Amino acid sequence: MRQKPRYVEASRCTACGACAEKCPTKVPNEFNFGLDEHKAIYKDYAQGIPSVYTIDPTHCRIFQGKKCGVCAKTCQAKAIDYEQKEKFVDLNVAAVIISTGYELFDATRISEYGYGRLPNVISALEMERLLSAGGPTKGHLTRPSTIRAEARVRELAKRIKKAETDQDMENLGRFQAELKWLEAQIHKHHTATKLGFIQCVGSRDFRFHKYCSSFCCMHSIKEAIIAKEHEPQTESYIFYMDLRTVGKGFEEYKVRGEKVSGLKYVRGRVAEILEDDEHNPIVYYEDTEERRVKSMTLDMVILATACSAPKGVNPLAEMLGVELDENNFIKTHPNRPLDTSVPGIFSCGCAQGPLDIPESVAQASSAAARAAEVVMTGGLALAM
Amino acid sequence: MTGNQKEEIRIGVFICDCGSNIAGYLTMQELVDYARTLPNVVFVQENLYTCSESGINEIKQAIPTHNLNRVVVASCTPRTHEPLFQSACEEAALNPYLFEMANIRDQCSWVHMREREKGTERAKHQIAMAVAKAARLRELSRIELGISHRAVVIGGGISGMSAAMALGNMGYEVDLVEKQEKLGGLLNSLNIVLPANEPSSRLLHDLAARISANDKIIVHTSSEVTKAEGYVGNYVVTIREKSAENRVKAGVIIVAIGARALKPEGLFGYNGKSVITHLELEALLKQGAPAAKNVVIVQCVGSRCAERTYCSRICCMTAVKNSILLKEADSRNKVTILYRDMMMYGVENEDMFRKSKELGVRYVAYDPAKLPQVGEDFVKVYHQRMGKEISIPAELVVLSTPLVAQEDAANVSSMLKVPLNENGFFLEGHVKLKPLDFATDGVYLCGSARFPATIREAVSQGLGAASRAAIVLSKEALFTSGIVADINTETCCGCLGCVDVCPYGAIRFVEEKEICQVNKVLCKGCGGCAATCPSESAKLDGFSSEQIYAQIEQAFAS
Amino acid sequence: MASKDVLIIGGGIAGMQAALDLGDMGLQAHLVEKNPSIGGKMAQLDKTFPTNDCTI
Repeated sequence: MRQKPRYVEASRCTACGACAEKCPTKVPNEFNFGLDEHKAIYKDYAQGIPSVYTIDPTHCRIFQGKKCGVCAKTCQAKAIDYEQKEKFVDLNVAAVIISTGYELFDATRISEYGYGRLPNVISALEMERLLSAGGPTKGHLTRPSTIRAEARVRELAKRIKKAETDQDMENLGRFQAELKWLEAQIHKHHTATKLGFIQCVGSRDFRFHKYCSSFCCMHSIKEAIIAKEHEPQTESYIFYMDLRTVGKGFEEYKVRGEKVSGLKYVRGRVAEILEDDEHNPIVYYEDTEERRVKSMTLDMVILATACSAPKGVNPLAEMLGVELDENNFIKTHPNRPLDTSVPGIFSCGCAQGPLDIPESVAQASSAAARAAEVVMTGGLALAM
Repeated sequence: MTGNQKEEIRIGVFICDCGSNIAGYLTMQELVDYARTLPNVVFVQENLYTCSESGINEIKQAIPTHNLNRVVVASCTPRTHEPLFQSACEEAALNPYLFEMANIRDQCSWVHMREREKGTERAKHQIAMAVAKAARLRELSRIELGISHRAVVIGGGISGMSAAMALGNMGYEVDLVEKQEKLGGLLNSLNIVLPANEPSSRLLHDLAARISANDKIIVHTSSEVTKAEGYVGNYVVTIREKSAENRVKAGVIIVAIGARALKPEGLFGYNGKSVITHLELEALLKQGAPAAKNVVIVQCVGSRCAERTYCSRICCMTAVKNSILLKEADSRNKVTILYRDMMMYGVENEDMFRKSKELGVRYVAYDPAKLPQVGEDFVKVYHQRMGKEISIPAELVVLSTPLVAQEDAANVSSMLKVPLNENGFFLEGHVKLKPLDFATDGVYLCGSARFPATIREAVSQGLGAASRAAIVLSKEALFTSGIVADINTETCCGCLGCVDVCPYGAIRFVEEKEICQVNKVLCKGCGGCAATCPSESAKLDGFSSEQIYAQIEQAFAS
Repeated sequence: MASKDVLIIGGGIAGMQAALDLGDMGLQAHLVEKNPSIGGKMAQLDKTFPTNDCTI
C-alpha cells in the first residue's frame, strides 16, 4: 500500500484552519466541481475525516519553487512538513473488500447536450453542491452563468477604476456598458426557477452504457423537490423513459413530488439542447404521450449522468487478478453476490454495478460478513 | 455527592482556544478571569487545544493536584469530544459522569464571529451554566451485561438461510426457525431463477445441504417463535416445534420472515385458469410451456394504486423473465406486456429487457386512469402512443401482483417490539444508513420482510444482517450507558404517559403496583419520559430537573 | 499465525460501512482511500430522500 504525502503531519494537525486562512494560493475546488475555490492547503469539506489539512503540491508555491512557507509560520501545532515523503506500508491480510465505487459519466461525450459548452447545463452532482448549504452558493440556486457574471463584474470594477485613473475613455465606456448589461442579467437571473432534469444521460444508451444506472430517477426527483423547498416559485420538468421507483418508499416519494411539489414528469427523450443569448438552455424533445416534437426554454438543465466504472479499476483488478464484466464493473458470482472470481476477495457497492445508498450499505455489511467468515474459519468458508 | 455526607465541590474549568477557532473571536483572558469567580471553581486553565495530548495530560494532572471532583471543558461539541474528555477523567480516577461540557465554539464563536464583546458575554453564560450543572452532577455507573453467543433466525427462506449460514461459518450457534415443512420459502414455488439462469431447486438444495452440514446450525421446520423476552445479548426465545415448546437463550434475533405474493381475487378477471399469477405460471412452466399461443401479461396489478401505494420492485423482471421463457419455448408464441414503467434497474435487468425485445416480446404502456380490460379471449387496452384503444388476442392472461407482507408480520412485530410501515413491511432503523437494523439493539432485518427483494438482494441482506448481529455476538460483554431514566416509585401515578413516548419499549407498567418501571438495559437515555411525566417522577440521570433548572437560572442571570 | 486483517479498497459509503462492521466485530480493518477525506460521493450530496436528512 502506498500512502501519499499530505505534507501535513496528521498526528499534530488540529484542523484549526489558520493555515488555509493565510495561504496566498487559490485553487479551483474540485469537490464543488470548480464552482468555487479553496486554498492550496485544504480540506475537502468542513466535516471531512480525517480532520487533517492537506497541501496540494501541484499548486502550493513552495512546490512550484517559489518563496512562501506562510502555512508553516502560521501553524502553531508545527504540523507542516514540506519534506514528507510517500510511505509504503506492507499489509498482510486474510481478505480484501473492493469498494471502489463509481465515476460519473463524462457528459461532454454527448455533444448534443452541450455539457461543458453551455454554462447552465450541469450534472446532477453539481446540482447537489449548488443546493448544499455548505456548497459554493450556500444553497442558493444561482446559475453558473450568473456565478461567472458576478466574477466578471468584480473584475470589471477593478478595470473601470484603472481606466478612470488612466483616463482611458475608450475602454471605460466599453467596460461600463458591459457592466450595465451584466448587472441587469444578474438581477434578472438571480435565481434559477425553471429547471429541466434529463434522465438516462449516458445510461440505456447504446453509444455509451447500455445498462440502467438505477439511482438517477430518484436522485432527480429529490433534487427537484429540494429546489422547490429552497424557492417556492420553482417549476421542474423531469424528462424520462421509465421512472424506476423500485425502492422502499420511492413510488410514494415520486407521487408526492407530483402532488405536493408540482413536479412535471414528461415521458420523452431529449434530442438536443441549445441556448438563447441570455444563456437560457432550450431543450428539444419528443413528448411521447402527445406524440409531438416540442421545445422548452429553461433556466437551467440538470443531467442525470450515468454511473460508470472508475478508470483506475483496471490496473487494480489486474493486480488482484479479479475479473471485470463487460462494463468494467467487478464481476461477482450470480448466487453469491459479494464473491469475486478470486476466493477471499469480495466486492460491494457501486464497484460491482449501480446501486442506491441502502443497497450499498446492506452490501457493505454483507461483504464484512463474508470477510469475517473467512477470517474466523481460517479460510474454510471461502466457498460460502 | 455520595451518601449523605456533604462533600466539598471542587470544579476545574478548562477553556480551549481551538487554535484560532475560539480564541480568534472571543477574549479568552476575560473568560478565564470570569470562570475563576464562579462558585465552587477552584482551578481554571486555558489550553491551545484541550483535546491535544498535552491538553488531556493537563486535565489528568490537575485532578489529583487540585483535588478536583468535577471537570468542565469549554470547547467544541460533546458529540465528537465528550468521550475523549470523559476517559481522561476516568484515567485520573474521577467518575466520567462528573464531567460537563460547554460548546463555546459551534454555539458561540462560530455564530458570533463579528461580535467579540457580545460573543464573549455569551460564552461566559455558557460556562456559568456548565459550572452550575457540574456542581449538581452525581456519580453514575454503567451496568455490565453478559452475552449469549447464539442467534435465532426467524424465517428459513433464502435470506434467513444466508444469515444462518454466515453466522454458522463465523462460529456462532444458530437456531433457524421455519414455519413450513421445509426450508426455502418462496424459492420453492419458483421455476428458473436469475441471474444464474438455473432451476431454483439447484440453488436451494446447495444452500440447504451446506446448512445441514454445518453443526453450528440447528434447523427447526414446522416451527414458530411464540415468545421473545429480554434484551440485546440476553433474549429468551420460545420456539414451538410441532407440539413441543423449547426455550433458548439468544444474544440476537434476525427477522427474515419474507413476504407472500398477492392473490388478485376480483382483479382483472382472475380465475386461476386462463387468468393467472406469475407463481401459477411458474408452476406451469416447470411442467413445460403452457399451450396458449397468445399471452398478455399485465403489470402493477394491485400495486402502485390507492390501496397499495408501493412499487413491488421485482414484478417487472419476473414478467420479462417469463416472457423470455415463453418465447424460447416456442418463438411463435405472441407475448405482450402491458406496463406503466418497466422497472428494469441495473445491469442484468436492462440486458434481459433488451433480450426480450429482440425475441419479439411486445410492450404496450397503459395509463393507470384507463386500466386494461380482460375479456373472454382478448385484452382491450388504450394504447397511449397510438392514441387509441386496441384489442389483443389472449388465451392466457398473467397478472403481475406485488409481494405483500406476511400475515403474521404484525405478531412478530409486537412480539419483538419492532415497528412495521403502513404496508406491513418491517421498518428499519434508518432507510439509508441502517437498512438492516432496528432502533432496538439486538434485532436485525433482511429480505422481503423489509421490502420485496430479488434473490441476490435477499442473499446479500441475509449476510449483511449476520454481520450486524455478529457485532454483538463477538463481544465478551456489553455495557449500558450511565445516562438512563429512573422513575420514582413514590410519586408515579401510573398514567402511562412515559410508556407511550418511549421509542425503545424500555418502560413497562407494573400492574400490581400501578406504577411504571424503566428497564435500564433497554433505555437509551433519550429523556422523552422525563419531559413527558406530569409529576416529574421520571427523571434522566445526568439530566435531572435540578441540574437543568440550575442551568436555566444561570442562562438568565445577568 | 495467519493474518486476521482485512483490506478495504475505497472509502465511500460502502467501504466505510464494511470497515465499521469489521472493526466493531473486533477485527482489524485497513481502509484505503485515494482522496484526502473518506466519504466518497455521498459526502458531496446535500440531503437524501425520503427523509431529506443531511448526508454528512
